[in-house]
Amino acid sequence: MDFILSLIISGLMNGAIYGLVALGFVLIYKSSSVLNFSQGHMLLLGAYIFWFFRTAMGFNLYLALFLAVGVGFLVGILIERLTLRRLIGQPLISMITVTIFLSLVIEGFVSLIWGSYPLQHIAIFSNRCFNIGNCVLTAQNLYAFGLALTTALALILFFRYTNLGLAMRGVAEGHQTMQSMGISVKKILNISWGIAGMAATIGGIILGSTLGFQLGLSHIGLLAIPAAFIGGLESPEGAILGGLLIGLCESIVSGYIGNAAGVPAAFLILIVVMIFKPYGFFGLVKIERV
Amino acid sequence: MLKLSNVEVKYADVILVLRGVSLEIAKGTIVSLLGSNGAGKTTTLKAISGLLHTELGEVTAGTIEYEGYRIDAMDPEQIAKMGIIQVMEGRRVLEHLTVEENLRLGGYIRSRDNIKKDLDMVYDYFPKLRSLRNSTSGYLSGGEQQMVVMGRAMMAHPKIMLLDEPSMGLAPLIVEEIFEIIRKFNTEEKSSILIVEQNARTALGASEYAYVLENGRVVLDGPSSKLADNEDIKEFYLGLSKIGEKKSYRDVKHYKRRKRWL
Repeated sequence: MDFILSLIISGLMNGAIYGLVALGFVLIYKSSSVLNFSQGHMLLLGAYIFWFFRTAMGFNLYLALFLAVGVGFLVGILIERLTLRRLIGQPLISMITVTIFLSLVIEGFVSLIWGSYPLQHIAIFSNRCFNIGNCVLTAQNLYAFGLALTTALALILFFRYTNLGLAMRGVAEGHQTMQSMGISVKKILNISWGIAGMAATIGGIILGSTLGFQLGLSHIGLLAIPAAFIGGLESPEGAILGGLLIGLCESIVSGYIGNAAGVPAAFLILIVVMIFKPYGFFGLVKIERV
Repeated sequence: MLKLSNVEVKYADVILVLRGVSLEIAKGTIVSLLGSNGAGKTTTLKAISGLLHTELGEVTAGTIEYEGYRIDAMDPEQIAKMGIIQVMEGRRVLEHLTVEENLRLGGYIRSRDNIKKDLDMVYDYFPKLRSLRNSTSGYLSGGEQQMVVMGRAMMAHPKIMLLDEPSMGLAPLIVEEIFEIIRKFNTEEKSSILIVEQNARTALGASEYAYVLENGRVVLDGPSSKLADNEDIKEFYLGLSKIGEKKSYRDVKHYKRRKRWL
């Protein structure tokens, strides 16, 4: 009983982070139909930038957090402005190819500057532990979970209730229609990338402080893909739920069957969901009027 | 207010669609633009609104002037902000958004304080939309969707509204209702309106001035009432024979007689 409880808890913790990263995918896919394969590496870069501000520059925690998130926003904006802006109207496959290889460029950049070994660990949350029954819950995990969910919730509310969020949902429906109303699609896409960069940075900071600041952080981008697809690529809520589901299933399978089975199980779930619900659980189904 | 002089439009540098179109819209008037399929009506609208640039089209000769400024090289966003709003053909609602969200986006370029007042204005023109405000626009009927896209354009308080085939695929009663609202909007808000139509009778009835476009050229223009009396218009656009009676199919030759305008 305690064993499964601890598996569920650790699954949900990881899941929240998957969800947050998946939200980055959703943000960009929703408005431009591009699947950004460099999301995981934007996360890596964000984590390292935070480390740079906190350790190398010696700023205090909040200032470093604030600056890192700000830089994450700028990185997103810059990527859109320099690469994808020029590809508007070109085949989707060329945009997707750009994002795939962009990830390698980012990884190269990071290892060039900071080296390929893990960096000195910095803890940003306290080290206290709580006991629930017989299983141990660290404050660190709890904070990470809380921060990931809060960020996700803030983004969902932003989408639903602000004018800018509404414009982003509008851009997802039709670029030309939005232009005919005087809304600049380029500007909205640009901001979407900025917000995705911000979300990736927050995910990177959380993940780095629990797993250590190392190049392997970018692999989480791979696990966030099934989370985004299961939720339906257009739905922020779906991304979070998909993330939690993937986290749970990964942790339970690795607990009972073996560590090696955890990640493949997540992808197996993705395949099954895709077969029975091609739009994911919350994806927007194209409206056909009869 | 808006003046097109000898506008020539090419798509992808090779396809010549407009071969020198000149037309003028005075402040506060309704002007209609008639023509058969492929005459260049939609292209004319897109040249004005700038949406041409999103489709590899370009104004290669001539000028489009709006209140003294040349707008033929501007982005569609800029032109919309200057007060020219196009309602595209085919009822392009943002289908997963609700009616009210669609309307809000129409008012996106205006200041936020007016949005409630503007929504009320649109709901007064289209009372039906008030009760549908929270429904997903993609599931509305064709007539209701036409009301949404027109209301969305009204939200921007356009100085010139470009309407591309508002009657397409709608029942005659709804067409009548929609044209009545167009006239009302024109008199109350003092917006100029340029209507592109296949439905010549309705368009001529609603507008003050009309242009007839064929093969990318204006072949005829004049006050709408005068055009409605023109023998050629009667025969080719209103389906009437010379005496003004309904044409009998017996009189139609087995090959299509075409009028050469120039």
